[in-house]
Amino acid sequence: MSRLEIEGLCKGWDFPVIDRLDLTVEEGEFFVIVGPSGIGKTTLLRLVAGLERPDAGRIKVGGRDLTDLPPYRRKVAMTFESYALYPHLTVFENIASPLRARRLPKSRITETVVSVAQLLRIEQLLSRRPGEISGGQKQRTALGRTLVAQPDVFLLDEPISHLDAKIRHELRLQFHTLEELRKVATLYVTHDYAEALSLGDRIGVMGAGGLLQVGTAREIFQQPQHLFVAQHLGQPSINVVPAALSSVDGALQFAAEGAELKLPVAEPHGQALAGRSSERITVGIRPQHVKVIRDGEVTTDTTGGAAVVDATVAIYEALGANGILVAETGGVRLTALTAPDAVFQHGEAVRLALRNDAFLYFDAASGRNVMVA
Amino acid sequence: MVDGTAPGDLAGEPAAAERPRLDRADPATYPEWFRNKKPRANLIVARWVPIALVGLPVLVLFCIVVYPTVWMFYHALHDTNMMRLFQGNWNFIGLENFATVLESARFGDSIVHLGIYLTFGACLQVILGSILALILYELVKSNFLRVVFLVAMVLPMMLPPSIVGVLWKFLLTPSNGAINQALLNLGLIDQHIEWFNAGLSLWTIIIADVWNWTALPLLIVYSGRVSLPPAVYEAARVDGAGAWTTLRRITLPMLKEVIAIAFIVRFMDAFKFVDLVFIMTSGGPAQSSELPAYIAFQRGIREFAIGEAAAYAILIFAVSAVLIILFLKYLKKVLKAQGFA
Amino acid sequence: MSKANYRLVKFLFLALMGLWLLITLFPFYWQIITAFKSAAETNRTIPTFWPEVWHPQNFVSVFAEASNFDALVDSFIIATGNTLASLLLGTLAGYAFARFPRQAGGENLAFWVLSNRMFPPVAVVLPMFFLFDATPWGTDSHLSLIILYLVFNMPLATWLMMVFFRDTPRELEEAAYLDGYTPLRAFFKVTLPLVLPGMISVAMLCWIFAWNEYLFANLLVGTDVRTFTIVIPTFTHGSQTLWNLQMAFSLIAMLPPVILFILLRRYMVRGLSLGVVKG
Repeated sequence: MSRLEIEGLCKGWDFPVIDRLDLTVEEGEFFVIVGPSGIGKTTLLRLVAGLERPDAGRIKVGGRDLTDLPPYRRKVAMTFESYALYPHLTVFENIASPLRARRLPKSRITETVVSVAQLLRIEQLLSRRPGEISGGQKQRTALGRTLVAQPDVFLLDEPISHLDAKIRHELRLQFHTLEELRKVATLYVTHDYAEALSLGDRIGVMGAGGLLQVGTAREIFQQPQHLFVAQHLGQPSINVVPAALSSVDGALQFAAEGAELKLPVAEPHGQALAGRSSERITVGIRPQHVKVIRDGEVTTDTTGGAAVVDATVAIYEALGANGILVAETGGVRLTALTAPDAVFQHGEAVRLALRNDAFLYFDAASGRNVMVA
Repeated sequence: MVDGTAPGDLAGEPAAAERPRLDRADPATYPEWFRNKKPRANLIVARWVPIALVGLPVLVLFCIVVYPTVWMFYHALHDTNMMRLFQGNWNFIGLENFATVLESARFGDSIVHLGIYLTFGACLQVILGSILALILYELVKSNFLRVVFLVAMVLPMMLPPSIVGVLWKFLLTPSNGAINQALLNLGLIDQHIEWFNAGLSLWTIIIADVWNWTALPLLIVYSGRVSLPPAVYEAARVDGAGAWTTLRRITLPMLKEVIAIAFIVRFMDAFKFVDLVFIMTSGGPAQSSELPAYIAFQRGIREFAIGEAAAYAILIFAVSAVLIILFLKYLKKVLKAQGFA
Repeated sequence: MSKANYRLVKFLFLALMGLWLLITLFPFYWQIITAFKSAAETNRTIPTFWPEVWHPQNFVSVFAEASNFDALVDSFIIATGNTLASLLLGTLAGYAFARFPRQAGGENLAFWVLSNRMFPPVAVVLPMFFLFDATPWGTDSHLSLIILYLVFNMPLATWLMMVFFRDTPRELEEAAYLDGYTPLRAFFKVTLPLVLPGMISVAMLCWIFAWNEYLFANLLVGTDVRTFTIVIPTFTHGSQTLWNLQMAFSLIAMLPPVILFILLRRYMVRGLSLGVVKG
C-alpha cells in the first residue's frame, strides 16, 4: 500500500511557492505535474523527498506520516533534472548505490543491478563512468538507480527534458512500459504538455501556489477550469480574445475588445452565459477549431454551425505534418491549424469557419471557466 | 515532531478554488501562514551540526588569535615587564606606553625606514610584478615557455625566509661576495660596496625582499589576466584597437581591483615584515635597519618591556586591521566578478 | 604606432623580463655552485664563478653534525602535524560554510576566519609565548609550533576547502540521501572522493608554509626543538660562516617546497593567488 497523500502543504522562502496544496496519488498511478518553469514543481518533489521541509502541511505514504522524516528514511526515490550521477563511480556503482546503502550482500546487488540494466538496455555500459556516456544513457542510469531502490514513491523531475526529440520519444515509450513504475505511486514533473498528456494517468496543472486543475488528459484539455490551464496546454496555444457580452434581439453575442469582430454565442453555452449579459469575458478558441476556407471553396464541414468570418493572411508556417496560419479578422489575430499541403500568401483573403460550439469562456477577472460550475 | 504542524492547523481554510489568486509579485496576496512562518531546521542534519562543525575551528582561532589580542590590549595599558609579569603585579598606566613609543626616536626612525621600505620595497614589487605578469601573458606566445618562465620567476617565493636571508647575506658579502665581484668584473664599480653599513643595510634588506616577493603580485596579476574574458579582446581586435589601446582601455581597467589587492597584500605584509631583518642585519648597525614590527619583538621578547611591546603591537594591529578590511572588500568584489562566493 | 616601433617596444619589454629572469636565477646558481665548493674555495678573496674542484661530499658532511638532521626531522614533524590539524579543522568548517552558510554563521564569519591569515604575528606571539610556558609541554616543543601555525594555515585550509565543497554539486549529496545514506555516509561516499584532489593540494600548501616558517620558530623554540629554518642562519665555525655547508644544507631543505610548488603550479596560478597565498 503506497498511496501518496499530500495535505495542506506550504512552502515559501522570499515569497510563497507552494500554498496549501492538496493531492492524492493512488498506488500504481502515474501522476504528471505540468507547469511553466520556476512555478514550484521541483520544490514540490523536493518536499515529498524530504530535501526541503514544509512550512506547514503533511505528507503521508501508505498511511505512514513522512513529514518529519529525513530523506534517507523515507523510501522515496527521485531522479534529478541534472541526473546527479556520481561522477567518480561507474554506471554499475551508480545503480548499485541504494542497495549498498542497505548493505545487501554482493551477489544480490550484482544480480539486481544487472537485471535492471538489462531492462533499461544499458548493460553494456556498466563499467563506464557518467562522463563517458550520452545524455539518454545518463537518464537511464539515473532511472536505474531509482528502480533498484524499490521505493514506495517514485519522483521524476523533468527526466527527459534535456534530451533531443528522438530519444525523448523513445524514453517516453519506455515510461509507458516500465511495470515497476506502475506498482507504486509515481509523481512525474515536466514543463512539456505533450509529455504530460501522453504519460499521465492523471495530470495536475500547476500555477502560482498550487494545482489549478487535476484530471485526466481529456478533461484537462477539453474542459480547462482555468484560462491558465487552457493557455498552457496545446501547441500552437489557444487564441485568447478579451471580449464583451451583449444581447442582441434575444440572442447572445460577444464583441472583441478594441476590435470589430463580433460572434454569436453558440447554443450549448447560451444558458451558462445568459446571466452575464453585458459583462466582460475572455474567449478561448483552439486553433484546431478554426478552419480556413479559400475563396471558391465549398464548406463541406458545417456541423456544429460554424460562424464564418472574412480574414487576411498575416503569417503562414508550413510545418510538414500541418501548417499554422495567423489571420487577421476585424482587428483580431487568430491562429488556425491547416492541412499540410496548403500554401498561403501574405495578404491573401480567406474565410475562417469558427466552431463556436467548442469555444471556451473564462471570467475576465478570475480566469475561471464560466461553463464549469 | 517538535515543531511539526498538525494538518488541522489549516482546517477551515477555503477550498483552493475559492481562494484569492496568489501573486508572487504582490505581497498583499500572500497567505496568512506565510506571514507567520518561522525558520525551521532542515530534515537532513540537526540544527546543532553546522554550529558544531564551525564551532571547533572558531574556538581554536579564539584561543590563538582573539585571546592574544585581548592580552595585548590589556598589557598595552599597564606597566608590565618580565618581573612584574611573573609576580603578577602590574599597574594601570593608561596610555603611557603609547606615549613612550610615539615619542621615542627609535620609533620615529623605524617609521622612516618603513616609509622607505613601502615605497621601494612593496610598491616597486607590485609595479614590477604587474609589468612582468603582463609581459609574460601578452608577449610570450608559447605556452610551454610561459609556464617555464612563470615557475622560474615564482621560485624565490617558495623559499623559506631564512634561506633567502642567508643566501643574500652571502651574495652581498662585501669582501668576496658574488654581487660585488660581478659588478667589479662588469666595470660598474671600482671598489667593494659595503652593503651592511649603516647607510645601506636597510636597502640591502629591500633588495633581498624584492627578489623574494615580486613573485606574489606577479602571480596575482597574472592569474587575474588569465581570467579576463577572451570575448572582450576578440571584440577589441574586430574594432581594430591596437595593443596599447587594448592595454589602456581594457586590460588595466579590468585588472584595477586585482592590482589593488596586490598592493594591499604587500602593504599588509610590510607592516608585519620582520624575518629578513632578523636574519640579515638584526636591525643594525646602530638600529639603522629597524622596522616597527622588529622593535616590537625586540622590546617584548629580548628586552622584556612587555607593555611597550604591546603598544607597538597594537599600533601595528590597528594599521593591519584597516588593511585587512580593505583587502576583504576588494576580495569580495573580485570573487563576485569571477563567480565565486 | 608604426610596426617597427612596436617591434622595438616589444623587444625592450622582453629584454626586461629576461633581465629579471637572470636576477631571479643567479642566486640559485650561486647557491648550487657554492654547495659544491670546498671550504677553502668559498673563502677566497676573489670568488670563483665555477667550482675549481667539485666537492659533493659537502652534502654528506653537513650531516656529520647530527643536530642538522634532527632539525629536518623537527621541521617535518611540525609541518606534518600542523598540516593534518589544519586540514581536519579546515574541512569541518569549510564544509559547514559551503553547505549550511546561514546556520554556520554566514559570509561574515567565513571572512573573519580568512582575515586571521593576515593577522600580524607580533600581536600573537608574545601572549602565546607566556601561555605555552604555562602548559605541560612548554614553549620549546613541537606542539607549541603545531598549534601556533594554525593561525595562518587553518584559515587558508578553511577557505579553500569551502571553495572546493561549493564546486561539488549539492545534488550529488541529495541523491545519496535518497539512496538511503545518512549525511555522514553520504559525505564519505560522494563528497570526500570528489574534493580529494583539492584537499591534497591544500595539504601541500599548508605543509610548505609550515615547513618554511621562521619567525614563530625563532622566538618560541631553539633548545629541545630546532627547526631547520632557525638552524640555517647559525652555520658558523668560530667567526667564519661555513658557506658551502650552509648552501648545501639549504639546498636540501628547500627541495620539498620547490618540488611541491612545481607539482602545484597550475593550481596556484588559477585560484589561489587571490591574496590568500601569503601568510
